[in-house]
Amino acid sequence: MKHRNPDKCVACSTCVVQCPVAEVTSKFLGPRMTGPASERFRLLNAGEDESLSYCANCKNCNISCPQGVDVANINMLARTRYSREHRPSFRDWILAHGELEADLVRFFPSSLVNFGMVNPLTKFVLDAIGISKKADLPTFARDQFPALFKSYRQPTLHKKVVFFPGCYIKAYAPETGIDLVWLLNRAGYNVIYPENFCCCGTPLYTNGFEKDARKNAAVNLLELKKWREEGIPVLSLCPSCQLMFRSEIPIYFPELAEELDGKTALDDAQEFILSCIEKGELPLAGAEQNKLDVMYHAPCHLRAQGIGMPGLELLKKLPGVHAVNADAGCCGISGSYGFKKEKYDIGMAVGSQLFRTIKDSGIEQVATDCGTCRVQIMHGTGHPVAHPLNILRRRLDTTRR
Amino acid sequence: MNRKSDILVVGSGLAGMTAALTAAASGKSVTLLCYGAGSLSISSDCIDVLGYFGGERTKEPFTVMERLPEEHPYRKIGTQAVKTALEWFEKFCAGAGLDLHKPAEGEGNHELITVMGTTKPSWLCPDSHDAACIRDAKHIAVFTVENMKDVHPRLIIDQLKHYPFLADKDFQGFTLPCPIKDARRNITPLDIARYVDKPDGLRWLHENLEAFAGKFDVFLLPPICGMELAQNVWKKLSTELNVRIVEMISIPPAVSGLRLYDVLRKSLNQKGVYLAENVQILSADVEQGKCRALYSEEGQRWEADEFVIATGGLLSGGISTEPGKAWESIFHIPLNVPADIEAWSSPDIFGSSLFARMGVSVGGDLRPLDEGGAILLKNVRFAGRVLGGYDFALEKSGHGVALATGWLAGTLAGKE
Repeated sequence: MKHRNPDKCVACSTCVVQCPVAEVTSKFLGPRMTGPASERFRLLNAGEDESLSYCANCKNCNISCPQGVDVANINMLARTRYSREHRPSFRDWILAHGELEADLVRFFPSSLVNFGMVNPLTKFVLDAIGISKKADLPTFARDQFPALFKSYRQPTLHKKVVFFPGCYIKAYAPETGIDLVWLLNRAGYNVIYPENFCCCGTPLYTNGFEKDARKNAAVNLLELKKWREEGIPVLSLCPSCQLMFRSEIPIYFPELAEELDGKTALDDAQEFILSCIEKGELPLAGAEQNKLDVMYHAPCHLRAQGIGMPGLELLKKLPGVHAVNADAGCCGISGSYGFKKEKYDIGMAVGSQLFRTIKDSGIEQVATDCGTCRVQIMHGTGHPVAHPLNILRRRLDTTRR
Repeated sequence: MNRKSDILVVGSGLAGMTAALTAAASGKSVTLLCYGAGSLSISSDCIDVLGYFGGERTKEPFTVMERLPEEHPYRKIGTQAVKTALEWFEKFCAGAGLDLHKPAEGEGNHELITVMGTTKPSWLCPDSHDAACIRDAKHIAVFTVENMKDVHPRLIIDQLKHYPFLADKDFQGFTLPCPIKDARRNITPLDIARYVDKPDGLRWLHENLEAFAGKFDVFLLPPICGMELAQNVWKKLSTELNVRIVEMISIPPAVSGLRLYDVLRKSLNQKGVYLAENVQILSADVEQGKCRALYSEEGQRWEADEFVIATGGLLSGGISTEPGKAWESIFHIPLNVPADIEAWSSPDIFGSSLFARMGVSVGGDLRPLDEGGAILLKNVRFAGRVLGGYDFALEKSGHGVALATGWLAGTLAGKE
């Protein structure tokens, strides 16, 4: 594994100022110290500082760096190197392998599984292994995406797109995936969901399971290559999955990315919908007109991609919808970070500015593109949080009024 | 993917944010593309207009402005534009809860105190940085906080005593106990400022300063009087302790620049400016002297009618170089630099440097000019450090040029 060159860092401290974790806890040395500064010592095989585990991998350092240093990626590479010699905990295994767990529980009724997850005894056990009992874990959907998709009847359409759902939509929010299918059908596209696609590897890699993450990346890239060769776009809705494909796989697994000439990015499903609207394929005339105020939260992993905020643009295009950007920083969850017992309070402190902004706005409906942001915002505010596509479908689908 | 807005601003430093704000005032749709957070968030919120002229410290920036070289951005846009921009900014900041003020009539540049024990000439500053009171003070307490990086009272006092007007003062240094326990890193003024924004933190600062009240005329503090609530915290403490409190200007992270950054960013959002982050612009689509769109690293096409480029200088990527050659990074406008690389450096480390001066040559409306003085791009304006003809470090004019040119570029783009 190659080290990232730390020397582009000029130690200006912009990342230190913009890091949401360093803002709320002095247990974290901060991105500059943990990233490029420590990297120089790592090159000398000096030991690792425990503060590394406090990096939430939210990427605000990458976003704010004026020199283009990918500080958070330096941290994740260091964590992986560390994990090769220090086995990650059972707790981290649990949090990293959500897809496997979802695969196991799908044979049981979700109500039973979810009760199994939220009852005090389970909470006690989870807390004992290091998952905070104060956290609201996401709940499994009654039917997971693969089952829902199989039973969903698509009209006959000639234009085709492929959908990469990611494990959040697969297990916890399949209705958002189905909303996308409905919208794409309406725009004239048949949707293909290849069951070979698996978890993008973000939770695996950030928790120190490099081998599992590589295995997943290999499977996903092979499938992606197949559709690339057929000339069919592959869409994704999850900001973290997209970030993994777009900018992390080429860094973490460069030998795999080479197979696709480094062009590993998926297409953003909401950008695709926006272009459908622009081209007249998805007319918004006939959409529900009544007034709806929405506060939008831009997930950090979306902001890091440099593609703007397509979800917010979609909301703004809807007649009657008044959407405002919260622009109040990170929600604090960072995938599985905020569920961890020793990180829970940090995550909540990070999210407090966003929670306050939402509560003070007087706006009830919140929208965001990321599944775990959604869980965290509901936990921190009690407000309903939807995916922008949920709102889009609700207002276009006359059968749902 | 193609994105379209009326006005596209590139760069999230003081120039870019100011341009986006003034452009948005026209009612047109504005997109602000950022690559990095800009240097404002690690700088101060003081606006230096012109601290040095011809190598000498100056008190009156506006008196000497007309005598600057012709290629200086202030000369290009005119003194009146600079004054109007500053007035607009003062009003804007006051509306956003951050009072900045210019020096009292006839006083000339503020003399701010830094944590290096130097004084720094500036034109606009918040009350908390205003150090005019130090002239009449006899007893001055200089504070730091235990484990705080870069703020050392003994160094500050030793340095300040070199100034004749401060040589006779009774300076005494003190260390406040650190309120952040078990910190695994050095504490910075920013850590304390954020703590002081909370009720516990304000109480901590009040209690620890109280013991010194009545014994000193002035307290020199690191910039720790809160973040969002800084103005109120400073007023409250000054009133309750009945003492003049002066926040020293710190090195990065300098705290007060982040206060201004937060105010500007909030305001941009309220004005409906669309912010796209981590967007690195690599090239432009130009047809017959008109820019149609910019292309980002991610292959996005950002279309607009008017463009403001505030991408910064060499360090921020607005300017690219190779030996003997320099050019503006997006449009590849060649910059006027000597072919002989030896002539690029200066043996005088504190003298003027070509690296600080090189930049795009523009007309009075900030549109780029070729060597013959003809307009190169009809709908593109440049603002801030990407402009050539001035040495911000030597003159102490960085924020002044950024603000004045950003204001003008945004205003003109909004009028098109």
